[in-house]
Amino acid sequence: MSASIPVSAGFTDSVSDWREGTRAAAERLVELGTAGQGYPGSCVASVEEHGPYIVLTPGVALVHAQAEEGQTREGLAVVRLGTPVAFGHPTNDPVDVLLAFSSGGNHMGMIKAVATALGGGLADRIRGAADEAQAEQQLAEVVAHV
Amino acid sequence: MSERPDPLKVLAVCGLGMGTSLILRMTAESVLTRLGIAAQVDNTDLSTARSTEADVIVGQGMHMTELEGAATVIVTVDDFVDESALEARLRPALAEVGWL
Repeated sequence: MSASIPVSAGFTDSVSDWREGTRAAAERLVELGTAGQGYPGSCVASVEEHGPYIVLTPGVALVHAQAEEGQTREGLAVVRLGTPVAFGHPTNDPVDVLLAFSSGGNHMGMIKAVATALGGGLADRIRGAADEAQAEQQLAEVVAHV
Repeated sequence: MSERPDPLKVLAVCGLGMGTSLILRMTAESVLTRLGIAAQVDNTDLSTARSTEADVIVGQGMHMTELEGAATVIVTVDDFVDESALEARLRPALAEVGWL
């Protein structure tokens, strides 16, 4: 049942660099129990290996790694930064919204829901959220469509 | 100029070939539908894209120099979820080769 997909949102003033931000977003999935301990490291390694392509729209990074790397089930998390951080992306830096997802086996389902939500202004709704609970409500609406 | 392949084979490319390129693929599918072009859109990673036959490749600028010559039309896009931005780049590129 899609209503049971857990979500987590955290507001942070600043992080030391994109690695810490990426790790923080993925760490929330570990805390939710939807990804294993190794997932944050895999997400950082993926950017180190392939470049900052995960910054897919201005100000937004989609933190993820290979489906087989320690994701136990679907989960969606966000870290919103008070001070944006640079990923080294030529056009979409700096980043203040770090969305992280785990998919278990349902990669397509999660991506479609997140993509549709991003196209519909999810990032700005997270930026406009008054508190973490409100941001979580936004994420809950995203996973309701998975 | 040649006739437009039917369906047009389109590749959406990112580093890993999973999450990000899948989002671009969805954006590309919407744009091509809007343009009335029958297309088969797939998403893949950079290294697979180099060895895959395609008519059109879309991806971020940072990857595209590595893909030069890999497809008839190569379009770079900065914002993977902005359909109108992709359409604005895809239109002239397709028109240039007579595929629009």
